Amino acid sequence: MKLGKLAITSDSGHLDTLPNTHFQSCPAPCCVNMKLWTAILPLLSVVGGVLSASTPDKFATYQSLSRSGPVDLDSASYEDLTSAPRDYHAVVILTATDSRFGCLLCRDFEPEWDLIARSWNKGPKSDDLKVVFGTLDFDNGKAVFQKLMLQTAPVLLVFPPTIGPHAKVDGNPVRFDFTGPITAEQVYAWIGRHLPEGTKPEIVRPINYMRIVSVVTTLMAAVTVFTVLSPYVLPIIQNRNLWAAISLIAVLLFTSGQMFNHIRKVPYVAGDGRGGISYFAGGFQNQFGMETQIVAAIYAVLSFATIALAVKVPRMEDVKGQQLAVLIWATVLFGTYSFLLSVFKAKNGGYPFFLPPF
Amino acid sequence: MAPSSLDVLLKGSSGRNTRGLLRVIILVTIAAAAVSSRLFSVIRFESIIHEFDPWFNFRATKYLVENGFYSFWDWFDDRTWHPLGRVTGGTLYPGLMVTSGIIYHVLLLLTIPVDIRNVCVLLAPGFSGLTALAMYLLTSEMSTSPSAGLLAAAFMGITPGYISRSVAGSYDNEAIAIFLLVFTFYLWIKAVKNGSIMWGALTALFYGYMVSAWGGYVFITNLIPLHVFVLLCMGRYSSRVYISYTTWYALGTLGSMQIPFVGFLPIRNSDHMSALGVFGLIQLVAFADFIRSYLPGKQFQKLLTSMILLTVGLGLGGLVLLSVSGVIAPWSGRFYSLWDTGYAKVHIPIIASVSEHQPTAWPAFFFDLNFLIWLFPAGVFMCFQKLKDEHVFVVIYSVLASYFAGVMVRLMLTLTPIVCVAAALALSAILDNFLVASTPSPTAESKAKASTEDKSLRSTREPVVGIYSYLSKAVVTGSVTLYLLLFVAHCTWVTSNAYSSPSVVLASKLPDGSQFIIDDYREAYYWLRQNTPDNAKIMSWWDYGYQIGGMADRPTLVDNNTWNNTHIATVGKAMSSREEVSYPILRQHDVDYVLVVFGGLLGYSGDDLNKFLWMVRIAEGIWPDEVKERDYFTARGEYRVDEEATPAMKNSLMYKMSYHNYQSLFPAGQAMDRVRGTKLPKESPQLNTLEEAFTSENWIVRLYKVKDLDNLGRDHSHAVAFDKGLKRKRATKHKGPRVLRTE
Repeated sequence: MKLGKLAITSDSGHLDTLPNTHFQSCPAPCCVNMKLWTAILPLLSVVGGVLSASTPDKFATYQSLSRSGPVDLDSASYEDLTSAPRDYHAVVILTATDSRFGCLLCRDFEPEWDLIARSWNKGPKSDDLKVVFGTLDFDNGKAVFQKLMLQTAPVLLVFPPTIGPHAKVDGNPVRFDFTGPITAEQVYAWIGRHLPEGTKPEIVRPINYMRIVSVVTTLMAAVTVFTVLSPYVLPIIQNRNLWAAISLIAVLLFTSGQMFNHIRKVPYVAGDGRGGISYFAGGFQNQFGMETQIVAAIYAVLSFATIALAVKVPRMEDVKGQQLAVLIWATVLFGTYSFLLSVFKAKNGGYPFFLPPF
Repeated sequence: MAPSSLDVLLKGSSGRNTRGLLRVIILVTIAAAAVSSRLFSVIRFESIIHEFDPWFNFRATKYLVENGFYSFWDWFDDRTWHPLGRVTGGTLYPGLMVTSGIIYHVLLLLTIPVDIRNVCVLLAPGFSGLTALAMYLLTSEMSTSPSAGLLAAAFMGITPGYISRSVAGSYDNEAIAIFLLVFTFYLWIKAVKNGSIMWGALTALFYGYMVSAWGGYVFITNLIPLHVFVLLCMGRYSSRVYISYTTWYALGTLGSMQIPFVGFLPIRNSDHMSALGVFGLIQLVAFADFIRSYLPGKQFQKLLTSMILLTVGLGLGGLVLLSVSGVIAPWSGRFYSLWDTGYAKVHIPIIASVSEHQPTAWPAFFFDLNFLIWLFPAGVFMCFQKLKDEHVFVVIYSVLASYFAGVMVRLMLTLTPIVCVAAALALSAILDNFLVASTPSPTAESKAKASTEDKSLRSTREPVVGIYSYLSKAVVTGSVTLYLLLFVAHCTWVTSNAYSSPSVVLASKLPDGSQFIIDDYREAYYWLRQNTPDNAKIMSWWDYGYQIGGMADRPTLVDNNTWNNTHIATVGKAMSSREEVSYPILRQHDVDYVLVVFGGLLGYSGDDLNKFLWMVRIAEGIWPDEVKERDYFTARGEYRVDEEATPAMKNSLMYKMSYHNYQSLFPAGQAMDRVRGTKLPKESPQLNTLEEAFTSENWIVRLYKVKDLDNLGRDHSHAVAFDKGLKRKRATKHKGPRVLRTE
């Protein structure tokens, strides 16, 4: 088993380059931000003071905001939602869904997150379980990302209540780090472990009516087309040449390691470090996409030469032509096999056999 | 006169006898070659059981021979999976053990004194000779050419794809299963060709034997119905197909249910549903065929349409209802992961962690099959020429098995037989044309043109003429001979270098070229056997469970059977947690010794630290709050063991046990790990709750004894610090206010 660097940086979007350009190399937006802040801050504290005086209302406010999905937060409302006297759980995801950040994981997880929030808000739950789901996008909450010194996204935080029956002594949030693609059920199970006992709604995936309808339509269309065209299609389906071609292509693809590419998601080609392209991956347990196509082509040429020698050549009536065909196909066979052996030798250093030209 | 005496030998009835005799001699020679090419490991090392699973099979066989068949059938093994135990008799495929048990008793009956171990070691090579024979029979059914079968037998005898699982000492289910697979397919083809109940029943008989021997029987269970289904779709229904399939299905299913481990799976598990479905379908088709002969065309059409609609509706509804209500079990994990290739990694880490279940890169195909891999598509093409029922079988088998072999390395084994068949068909087609001594006369064959079929392949519509010039014949024959010789050399080289290591005993080369035998495993297991009480419980990662049971004869916590994921995760948690967490786990499970495999000194890469992430992952699957894979990677996402390793890594029991005292081998600050190629921290980690009991010669196996509770009721870490003469750290107590300990 080979242990290398875990590709965490490529899985979750790495934000450290972008905030830097935003916050350091271009001072203008930063200053604008600061000014804005100074303008908002006193206002906010007033609002905060009003709200914190009546915390049950705060929960009701946010609950009404999130009729179905999670609440869309910005820096201000984030601070408000997570401020100290709270009698509810706040579950907030800090994400960066804009395509500029190239955070695939954030975008992939967005519908799953909506599903969690929607399932919670709609489903049956105990009365004393108060949970608010929120989403803070990087675009709306740069300040929060800066304050928490977040380098990566997405990050999921669960804030326990500070007052009420389920209050925790330290109101610090629990953090969930994403390490790869993950489903709503897995994340929900994790959240569930940090909530107190009680009835919790199940994740309900909505039935995709669109898909059912489209599948049924496609099926009916296919049946119709088949019935109408059957006089023309049937000879094609029953054509032995076609089936032979399909079988051979399938066999060639599978035996040249196509499934490995599919499962391991190998790169198509890679650079060799000197500016060129290396078509063949080093090592016996490794391969590139292009490499398998080359190998499949080699196998195809070899098989075709064999078929020609075994099937076609003995059926030629022309004496000279047959002689020529035999020589050509035998040479092709020999040369290609020699090349195949040399490629294999390159993959497997200690392999002792070869055929002359290569 | 020489020519006439040759004529006498080669023509007429005596010629037939001569050819028969030659064929027998060739087959016997092939079988001998197949057996002898598998003996490298016996010659190089000794007659020893290999690897992991064979050690369990060997132990079970010994139990069978000592205690008899019935107590073997009811065997409850309390020396594995401590403290749970395992109902071994009901959870294994008994075919292998019973086979070698019978051979052992027959040999004793013939008054040949033989050790059961030698029967076990030599069982796989012996059966490979039989496989070559079965291969000859199977291929001869596919082709009229007399050479195809012999070529296929020779290929099967020495191809590394099969040798990899059948060298001497590799006492595993596959050793006899591949013979049974090939022979069952031969019987099936025979049954379809003749439409006889006898052949169908024989197929069922050997199918039952196969079920008793290997879990891979599911391959047959699905391939035969698929063959029948495709034949039906091609409009090739015949009473031959009906008779052979129904006979096989009825008897074969009953036979397979006799194995306790299989039980009622054939009627409840989805893996087997296709066989049942095709069984129903063929009844309907047979009924329709019967009706057709009595009804006029129009009425029959109407009846047929309504019948099809009704059955499809009922069948689908019933299937959905049964699956929802849970009568039919869902697909088994291993089978399901074949279709949805991402499934295992997410849901069943224990399946994904086995290296045999990884996908196959292309060099592995060439390594295992050499030039057969490019003769294979050509042979499949040849099958399309005539496309009789048996050729359809070859085509389906080829496509399906190539897919499976691409998804999982270990299924290369099921691909190999069909590759040999197809390659032999292709090569024999070449040789039959090019090895004819007489030259065709260009005028003679224009009359043969009339017999061209319209349905056949485009390339074979012209009649066969033959090869004219001797140069062509010489060139092609010469190059084919070269390829064949290269194939033999390749197979010998691969077998000798890659597949003949027992992996219990390792061999390496010293700089001066002499061989250096690394026998650490047996050294350590023997130490356990000699120095520990008979019921000392040994904890190790599951890979070594069977070996400890077989060689050291001590109870283990988990082994290669992996039937209880939670128990394995418990061991994983103990290995990957801090000592304070692990020690209670060890005490609760009565563990006396802990065994770790460490390759850092020699550069042996298959050690426990390289498998460590799987332990973490499996433990995380059960205790996601306590063990987190992320904690074992540095902030930059690297897996490191040196100075910059994460605290979770450095404090894990596995890390501590691996590197305990390791630094003392090197000058200060020079300690190197030769597997991971990194420098290690200066100080070796401090173990408090375990003490080193034994370390093998090359440090590959390290054994630790779990300490008893301290006599004075102290913490182990305090006791160790006291023994070392360290002053109790009171300094921290004076700083700052007193804190209430909440733990």
